Amino acid sequence: GAPWRLLSFGARAQLCSSFSIPIRCGADMSHGGLTTFNIDHGFVEAMVRGFRSGFLDDNDYTRLQQSETLEDVKMNLKADTDYMGFLDNDNELSPALVRDRAVSKLVEEFEYLQAQASEPLYTFMEYIKYEYMIDNVMHLLKGTLSGRSPEELMAQCHPLGMFKESTMRAIPTFESSPKGYADLYQTVLVDTPVGQYFDLWLQERQEMIANPGEMRSILDEVEVEILRNSILKLYLEDFYHYTQRLGGDTAEIMGHVLKIRADRHSINVTLNSFNTRLNDASTRASERSLLYPGFGYLYPEATQKLASCGDEGSLGEVLSMYTLYRPVWEVHMNQAFGGDSIDDAFYTQEVETLELAFESQMHFAAFYAYLKLKEQEIRNLVWICECVQQRRREYIGKFVHIFSLQSPWRNRSKS
Amino acid sequence: AARAFASLPRASRAFERRTMSDSSATTNANYGCEGELCNFGWVEVLTHISPYWWGNLGVAFGLGLSVLGAAWGIWITGSSLVGAAIKAPRIRSKNLVSVIFCEATAIYGVIIAIILMTHISEPEARFSRIQADSWDWNTFFYAGYAVFAAGLGVGLTNLASGISVGIAGSSCALADAQNGDLFVKMLIVEIFASALGIFGIIVGIIMSNDAEFPE
Repeated sequence: GAPWRLLSFGARAQLCSSFSIPIRCGADMSHGGLTTFNIDHGFVEAMVRGFRSGFLDDNDYTRLQQSETLEDVKMNLKADTDYMGFLDNDNELSPALVRDRAVSKLVEEFEYLQAQASEPLYTFMEYIKYEYMIDNVMHLLKGTLSGRSPEELMAQCHPLGMFKESTMRAIPTFESSPKGYADLYQTVLVDTPVGQYFDLWLQERQEMIANPGEMRSILDEVEVEILRNSILKLYLEDFYHYTQRLGGDTAEIMGHVLKIRADRHSINVTLNSFNTRLNDASTRASERSLLYPGFGYLYPEATQKLASCGDEGSLGEVLSMYTLYRPVWEVHMNQAFGGDSIDDAFYTQEVETLELAFESQMHFAAFYAYLKLKEQEIRNLVWICECVQQRRREYIGKFVHIFSLQSPWRNRSKS
Repeated sequence: AARAFASLPRASRAFERRTMSDSSATTNANYGCEGELCNFGWVEVLTHISPYWWGNLGVAFGLGLSVLGAAWGIWITGSSLVGAAIKAPRIRSKNLVSVIFCEATAIYGVIIAIILMTHISEPEARFSRIQADSWDWNTFFYAGYAVFAAGLGVGLTNLASGISVGIAGSSCALADAQNGDLFVKMLIVEIFASALGIFGIIVGIIMSNDAEFPE
């Protein structure tokens, strides 16, 4: 409670370690409610809410959509948006460059926020970074399979998930097999925060590594995609349980956000597996269910059904029972008529969910939501730049507005 | 004399000085208590605590808890204000009003402490020479309890008021940074929150009006 929170973090850690009985006493377990959150996190939270005003609004998007060339885009961004001056040093503009510069700017802001953070917010933001670390490791592994050079791969890694350079150079040197991954873990990844997920995954596949010839499995070699989905699933479960341990509003809001994320993961895995070996009728129920996270609105009943889905029809039947995902599925069904794809529908749903994090105060979800919404804004910017560059102006409006009063979820009751 | 002594109510015998001649007498003569340390029951404990203790403790609570509430409120709202002013410097001056509202609760605490202290007065007569039947015990005890309750009441209401203004002020600063029109409306929330402190001090002053420690 409040007296506990008024002690410093060091004092709490000392008191916790002095207990002789094994009670659940975490020095960093919770972050205080309305009355004590601001001790440690008031300043950082106020900063991230200040950054919220830096999102591009409807007027900015309207001006950007009227651009004829990328130079116009640069000029429109210079006119009183938060992106003033981020392209000043560049003359050769391209959508890829715009994305790189915008991502650098976002990472700088995130690191700045994390530098001001104290526990447990610092650990929370570290968890957010693990996802990018996993992506970088997978990118390096996958790139090696297609024979690209390590330097080129490292230049494409996401800046939020960087390891030491020696670690990153070592990753592409391992072979893509269960034995190779075991070696990779023991020599390189064990020191990194994401090593724990590889450890868990290797424990699950212990039999495959020990007796590769005798094990009857549909996966003769573990594809990098399946590895990636497994590691991501383990990470999402760990992050979810961490937010639940934090308690309070963070557990409630981040729980909702992460459950939707997990369900999106399950649906995408199922949808992408339909034309692969993973869909083999004899083993799909056992193999594919290993890739579904152990939490979420679809867990456990729907994930059981999803594991045995063979085609889109049965997948649609399962999803139609959930009001959260029925509209997403309907968008996918209408795709043939020139509408949005399922990814667009998921992006829209993500923006709607994340905007909720800014509706209340004194919790950590705003940090996660800020990062993800800024990423969506970068996707929007890159989309506009690509449409402008390729002169496909009819598609230029197909992006998701963020914090817009015209959003469909704000106008539902009026329509 | 012993009969006259025994006929007085128990509480009035509280602070009689035990004369040396009574030292070997029964323990009943110890300040009129049954227990040796006057702890034979809660009644004995409470009625044998000096009203000066109650009175001064009331002053301490009145001031201390008010300042605790004000300080709590200021750091809740101050940390948000400082962070939000980085991106929106225009909110700096207007949102200091939240800090001023919190400070007002501390001032209420100082006011009630000064008022209560004027009620507490050291008696002119030496305490040891008080005659049991000429000392105004009823006023004495009433004064002690009234000052204590007034101080405690003001302290607790200001504690609640300070925290409440702090939380409202924090949200006000963040909202003002996003949209300047919201400030005035949210200020009304803070005004209602700081009215709680005013209720406390009004009741405290009325309660302690009749409290007068006898000379």
